[in-house]
Amino acid sequence: MKKRLVLLTLILTLAVFSIASGTEILFWAMDNAPSALHVAWMQEKAAEFEAKTGIKVVFEEIGWGDGPRIMNALITGEGAHVFQLGTTWNPQYAETGGLVEIDINEFGGADRFFAANLESTTLNGKYYGVPWFAETRVLFYNTKMFEEAGVRPPQTYEQLLEVGKKIIEVHGEGRAIATAGTAAWDLIHNWAIILWAHGGDMLNEDNTEAIFNSAAGVRAMNYWVSLVDTGLASKACAEYNQPQADAAFISGETAMAFMGPWNIADIAHDNPDLPYFVVEPPAGPYGRAAFSGGSNLAIRSNASKEEIEAAKEWVKFLVSDDVLADYTKNLTNMIPANKYALNDPYYDTEIWRTFIKALGYAKAYPPIPEWGQIESIIQTNFGNVLTDYVDGRFSNITSKGYLDAAAAEVNAVLQGN
Amino acid sequence: MKKVRYLGYLFILPAVIAMILVHVIPMGWGILISFRDLTLRNIRNWREAPFTGLKNYITAFNPVTTVGQRFLRSLQNILLYGFVTITVGFLIALGVALLMNKPFVGRNIVRGIILIPYITPDSVAYNFWRFIFQSRIGILNEMLLRIGIIQEPIMWLVGKNTIWAVIIASIWKGWPLTSLMLLAGLQTIPVELYEAARIDGANAWQCFKHITLSYLKPVIKTIMIMNILWNFHAYNQFVVLFGRNPGIHAEVPNTLIMREAFDNYNYGQGSALSVILMLMMLVITVVYQYFFRVRAEE
Repeated sequence: MKKRLVLLTLILTLAVFSIASGTEILFWAMDNAPSALHVAWMQEKAAEFEAKTGIKVVFEEIGWGDGPRIMNALITGEGAHVFQLGTTWNPQYAETGGLVEIDINEFGGADRFFAANLESTTLNGKYYGVPWFAETRVLFYNTKMFEEAGVRPPQTYEQLLEVGKKIIEVHGEGRAIATAGTAAWDLIHNWAIILWAHGGDMLNEDNTEAIFNSAAGVRAMNYWVSLVDTGLASKACAEYNQPQADAAFISGETAMAFMGPWNIADIAHDNPDLPYFVVEPPAGPYGRAAFSGGSNLAIRSNASKEEIEAAKEWVKFLVSDDVLADYTKNLTNMIPANKYALNDPYYDTEIWRTFIKALGYAKAYPPIPEWGQIESIIQTNFGNVLTDYVDGRFSNITSKGYLDAAAAEVNAVLQGN
Repeated sequence: MKKVRYLGYLFILPAVIAMILVHVIPMGWGILISFRDLTLRNIRNWREAPFTGLKNYITAFNPVTTVGQRFLRSLQNILLYGFVTITVGFLIALGVALLMNKPFVGRNIVRGIILIPYITPDSVAYNFWRFIFQSRIGILNEMLLRIGIIQEPIMWLVGKNTIWAVIIASIWKGWPLTSLMLLAGLQTIPVELYEAARIDGANAWQCFKHITLSYLKPVIKTIMIMNILWNFHAYNQFVVLFGRNPGIHAEVPNTLIMREAFDNYNYGQGSALSVILMLMMLVITVVYQYFFRVRAEE
């Protein structure tokens, strides 16, 4: 029986290869690593893949602002056959009907991937992408500055404020933590983890109504502003983008920052002597929460059968344990979304284990097509809260007002108005 | 003779076809979808997007709707931005052009140098300004603090000062071209006119008003219309300085259109806003042309 199964699998694989062999496909991925290294790695892997399967892959690097280009490819059928999608993008592109529905068993089964990343590939319970690499943000802290202030890494959000106060007593105002501000496209992720840790959520269970304007939402928003208002973070943080906040920590200016795994390489490159360590995101009254991000691989549906089969083979190759581990550890400095790739000894350090642990309970945003729009609405109103703070108009009432306005706008979107 | 005329049409035919393909058809398509509720769901089959008549246009001017509020505010912001940027930029450009028109050693080199802001790519130039405006480590606050004009750092990149930050950066970037065009205009004015005027007893101001400005009128007209149109189109400077969401005080029509169409996927609404902006610019251009023609005839 087993022999027959092996034979059948072999025949099926050969059949797929014979259909797809000789096919050429185009692959678009973002600049996940310095271009020269990235393109060279992709070309090397494409050659390896072609030698194995006979399928030619042409790689083209695109930018994170190229969403409309991907959309054009889905509409016109001209452009990449396989492309990288940010986790929060996947459902909205699937909604267009332009993505191939994925049988996740073909790619090793659901258990192979981090749950939140896999969830991000879904729309109405069906898969439209394969998780590629993952990211989450944890609390980086400067061990020397902590030691000098006589404090230990905070385990709760309340402790973070207490620890921060002691740090600014020793190191000066604004030097406890670096936070992102209005220029950060990913500002919402910082608020989301505090919201979840305080028992709040973005939408109700069936994703029909906004609930982020709850008391937990207001508390989370005010908490973020209070980091600047109490002098733990510099007032300048209100104008920062995430890389500016990261740089403030990496340069040794601040004692803490919420940062992602790619920052490990940034530290090694920019300030290798920085004495730092990481801890999981602090806990709120409802425990710890982390944000799950990263990227998925999706396949365009308006392509020939041969091209779609070839595209699937390329995706399987990219998410295979060794290839993926090589890509994430040497190029992107992200976490492989395929859990088996984490068996690579590179990930067996305390710092990586902290990231992986946080990713284990990390949450994805609701996988609904309206999410992009919802994120933009929340982001705009979060920006308004910070603007109010800078203009001296911030209060609990104004932040609640902006969250209510955002919720009303989101509800209108969810109701299709 | 007729043959020659037809040959002329034949020569411009490729350009006309190219214009139709890359300009007229996409614009027509944009106008068509502005009357539809085109979103992610129906983007692959836009003909099936529900026809909504003037709904998107009414929403744009309805201050009760979020889009309406933002669009009206963006118009206020762009008017302030355009007025100050064009006026101040023009005055600087005129001053520099008058200086450059005088002969001095190294004039050609200076002429080249003053063009640097204009030829610097937007992404580089405005990123450079983003550094200058940083509240904590920016050079501008550092200078203002040192000379005692301010007592604590000003936030230029968030809040009510954002519009002034982008105005300053845009003036820096825009005046060199205006200056170069004015200088070209100045060089067409015959020197004899000034000599004759002085013999007739005209003072410097009278020479400037009646000779320089009169001769520069056609150039100024072109500069103004170009600047008005460019400023209404402003996008790069706002996005590079403040990100995709420039905030209440610096939201302008193009940043709103981009967010509405490509972040919120309301392609219909985004197109309607674009059409409104296009019509506004058309009206401004026609009124301006008419005004100038009438004044010229007078």
